[in-house]
Amino acid sequence: MVALSEATGPVAGDRRARARRATLALVGLVLLASWAALATGAAGVSLPQALGRLVTGTGLTLQEQVVLWDIRLPRLVTGLCVGAALAVSGAVMQGLFRNPLADPGLVGVGAGAGLGAVTAIVLGGLLPPALAALAGIYTVPIAAFLGGWAATLILYRVSTRAGRTSVATMLLAGIALGALAGAVTGLLVYAADDQQLRDLTFWGLGSLAGASWAKLAVAAPVMLAAMAGTLWLARGLNGLALGEAAAAHMGVPVQRMKNLAILAVAAATGAAVAVSGGIGFIGIVVPHLLRLATGPDHRYLLPNAALLGAALLVGADIVARSVIAPAELPIGIVTALMGAPVFLWILLRRRGVVDL
Amino acid sequence: MLEARDITVDLGKRRILHGLSLAAAPGEVTIVLGPNGSGKTTLLRALTGDVAAEGHISLDGADPRRLAPWELARRRAVLAQFARLAFPFTVLEVVRLGAEAAGEVGAAASARSRAALDKVDLAGYEGRLYQELSGGEQARVQLARALAQVWEPKGPEGPRWLFLDEPVASLDVAHQLQVMELAADYARQGGGVIAVMHDLTLTALFADKVVLLDAGHVAAEGPTAEVIRADRLARVYGCRIDVIAAGDPQRLIVTPVPDPRAAG
Amino acid sequence: MKALALAALLAAAPLAAGAAERIVSVGGSVTETVAALGALDRVVARDTTSSWPEEVEALPDVGYVRRLSPEGVLSVAPDLILAEEGAGPPETVAVLERAEIPFVTVPDATDAAGVAAKIEAVGAALDLEERAATLAGKIETRIADTAARAAEVETPARVLFVLSAEGGRLLASGTDTAAAAMIDLAGGVNAVTGFEGYKPLTDEAVLAAAPDVVLMMEGRAEGHGGAGVLSHPALAQTPAGQAGRLVEMDGLYLLGFGPRTAEAVADLHAALYPGG
Repeated sequence: MVALSEATGPVAGDRRARARRATLALVGLVLLASWAALATGAAGVSLPQALGRLVTGTGLTLQEQVVLWDIRLPRLVTGLCVGAALAVSGAVMQGLFRNPLADPGLVGVGAGAGLGAVTAIVLGGLLPPALAALAGIYTVPIAAFLGGWAATLILYRVSTRAGRTSVATMLLAGIALGALAGAVTGLLVYAADDQQLRDLTFWGLGSLAGASWAKLAVAAPVMLAAMAGTLWLARGLNGLALGEAAAAHMGVPVQRMKNLAILAVAAATGAAVAVSGGIGFIGIVVPHLLRLATGPDHRYLLPNAALLGAALLVGADIVARSVIAPAELPIGIVTALMGAPVFLWILLRRRGVVDL
Repeated sequence: MLEARDITVDLGKRRILHGLSLAAAPGEVTIVLGPNGSGKTTLLRALTGDVAAEGHISLDGADPRRLAPWELARRRAVLAQFARLAFPFTVLEVVRLGAEAAGEVGAAASARSRAALDKVDLAGYEGRLYQELSGGEQARVQLARALAQVWEPKGPEGPRWLFLDEPVASLDVAHQLQVMELAADYARQGGGVIAVMHDLTLTALFADKVVLLDAGHVAAEGPTAEVIRADRLARVYGCRIDVIAAGDPQRLIVTPVPDPRAAG
Repeated sequence: MKALALAALLAAAPLAAGAAERIVSVGGSVTETVAALGALDRVVARDTTSSWPEEVEALPDVGYVRRLSPEGVLSVAPDLILAEEGAGPPETVAVLERAEIPFVTVPDATDAAGVAAKIEAVGAALDLEERAATLAGKIETRIADTAARAAEVETPARVLFVLSAEGGRLLASGTDTAAAAMIDLAGGVNAVTGFEGYKPLTDEAVLAAAPDVVLMMEGRAEGHGGAGVLSHPALAQTPAGQAGRLVEMDGLYLLGFGPRTAEAVADLHAALYPGG
C-alpha cells in the first residue's frame, strides 16, 4: 500500500522529481543560450540563413565560416565547458568544505592556478628541452592544474581541523594564498619580456575572447574528465554533509573521496583558468541557486550545476561582447557584477548561522 | 557477536583506554556506563573505527577495520553525539542517506525512510528542513537515519548492529522511553545494540548487559542486576548512589544521594 | 632617393591591398599617419588608442590595441587592417587571417628614419606611395633639423620620465623606450639608464637620478593631495622638485612617433629650456 502511493504521488520532502524537472529545464536553457550565442555578435551573420545554406548544401560564405566556425563556435564551446567546470568545482568544493561559501575563485585556488599558468608562460623556456617537448602545448594547462592542486591542498590543510572547516580561516587563507600568488606573479613580471607581459595581462581579466579550437583540444578533455569524475563523488558528498565520521559510518570511503574531490577541483579549475583566465562567482552563485530551488542532493546538484553554469557563462559572454560592441568587456567584470551581490546576500541571510 | 580484546587507545600522549576487553551479543541491549572522562565515547569510537585502536576487534567474526566501508555500513549503523548538517536537506532526505547507504534506491528508500521516521514519532516531518528542527527532533531524525541503514535486524551476513552514543541525551522523558523501547525492540528481533548512556535508571530498565568503565578500565561487566549495584556505582562515580527496587512491575530506580557533610 | 627605393620595395611586397576602402586603423600613430595622408575617409573603425585627430573618435572602437575582438573587427566588414606592431592578441590575428582580410603590420619607430619608414609603410598599404614619400621626407627632415638644433644646448637637462605615480610608486622609463628616445631628440639626458623599459624606482634611485625636469603624460600627475607628483617625498628633494619643474604632454603626441613628432620634439625642447 505504502509502496504504491510512493510510486505514484510526490512525497513530502522528496525533491528528486523536482530536481529532474530542473535538469530538463536547464538542458533547454543551455540550448537556448547556445543558439543565442551563435546568433548574436557584432558581425551581422544570420544563423538561420547560414544553417539553411548548410542544409541545402549551398555552402557557407567565407565570412559566415570564419564568424561561426572560427569565432562563435569555439567561444561557445569554451563558455559551456568553463561555465560547467567552474560551477561543478564550486559545488564540489562547498561539499568538501561543508560550507556554501567555498569557491575556487574566492579561496585562492584560481589564484594558484593562475600562478601556475603565469609561471609556465614566463619560465616555460627554462624547462629541459626534452621535458618541454613532452609537455608541448599542455605546459600551461598542466602548470595551472598543479598550481590549483597545491593551493587546494594547502587550503584544506590550513582551514580544516577534525573534519570541520572554519570559514574565517578558509577565507583568510584564501586571501593569503591570493596575495602570495599575486606577489610571485609580480616577481615573474620582472623576468617577463614584452610578449610574455601581454600574455600575462590576460590572466588578470578573465575572458573567452582567446577561445580557439587548438586551446579547446587541450583543455576541454581535462574539464570533461574532471566533471565526469565528480559523478562518483555525489553520494560521498551527501554523506559528508553530516560530517566525516557520519559519512564513514554510512560506507563512504572518506579519504579516497576527498583526494578525488581535490584532484577534480584542481583539474577543472586549472583547465578553466588556462583557457579563460580568472572568472569569479559562477562557482558560488550557481550551486547556491540550485540548492534553494531543488535541494542539496549532490547527485542532482552536480549535473544541474554543470548545466546552469554553462548557460550562465554563455549568457554573461553574450552580455560581455554586446554592451560595448564592437569592443568587448572582460567577462570577469560581468560575472562579478552578477555574483558579488548574490555572495553578499548569502552572507546577510546566513548571518549568525555561518560560523566564522 | 561483538568482541573486543585488549583495546588500547592513545589520544595524543594520553592513554584513554588501557587494554580493556568486552563482549556484546546480538539479541541483547548492551549499555556502556561510566563517569565523564572514563572513556565511554572513545570506546564506542574505537569499536566503530573512528579512532585508531590497538587490540583485537571482531564483529561477527570479521575485523570491522578490514571490511570495505560499504560492507561495514550494511552491518552496523552509528548514531553519534553531535551531528551538524552542512546544507539544507529535508528530514526525508537525511533519513534517505541511511537507507541509501544500505543500497536501497528510489521509492523503496523513501518508503523505508518514512517508516523509520514513523518509529521515532516524526511522521509528517518529512518535508521540514532538518536545520530548522529542535535539538531533540534532530536527534530523533539521526536515529531514524541510523535505523534506516540497518532496517532489518538480521541480514544475510548475520545480525545487524546499532551503535548509539547517548541516544537520549537531548530528549524529553516520553521520547527517551520511546527511543529505548525502539532499541530494545531491535534487539528482541535479533539485532545487536550497544549504547553509551548516562541515565542509570533508564539503563537499569532497558539493558540486558552493562559494561561499567572507570578511567579507561572495565570496572564491571555482566547482567544488569549484577552491575547496577549501589557499592559498585558509588566506587566508580565517587558519590553515594541508591538503587531502589520499587513499583509494579518491580524495577530498579537509581538515584544519587547528596552527601550531608557537603551541605555543611 | 633612399626613401623612394624603400617605397618601391614596399609597393612590390605582396600586400594585395589594392585600393582598400574599408580600413580598420589600429594604433594611435598609425591612425594619425592615415589622417596625415588624407585618407581618414577610408577608415571605418579604430582602436581605443586612436584619439587624434578628433574626428576619429566618432568611429566605432574595436577595443584596446592588444585586445582586439575578432568579431568586432569583422563586424565593420573591413578590407584592410592596418595595425601597429604588437597589435593582437595572436588569436584575433589568426582568425582575421582565416577570414582572408589583409593584415598589415606597421613597424614601430623611435627615431626620424623610423617615422619615415612608418609613414611609407602606411602609404604603401593605402596605395598612396608618392604622397607618403613626400610626407615622410618632409617629416624626417623636420625631426632631424629640430633634433639637431635641440642638441646644441650646452648643459643638457636631466629628464625623468614618469609613466605613473599611483600610490606613490614611481614607474619610470629606463633606456630603450619611446620616452627615452624623445628626451634624447629634444636635447635632454635620460636621468635613468640602469635598466631597459619601464620599472618602479626606489626613493634612493630617484635621488640618485637627480632629474632637473620631470616629464609625464597629461592627466597622470594628479594625486598627492593637489600638490602633484612633485610632492612625492623623494622627488621633492631632487632639483626638479626644488625648482618645481614638471612638464606634461599628451601621451600620443609625445610618444606616438607619428607625423606630429617633429612638433612634439620642438615643444618638448622648448619646455625643457624655457630660456631659449
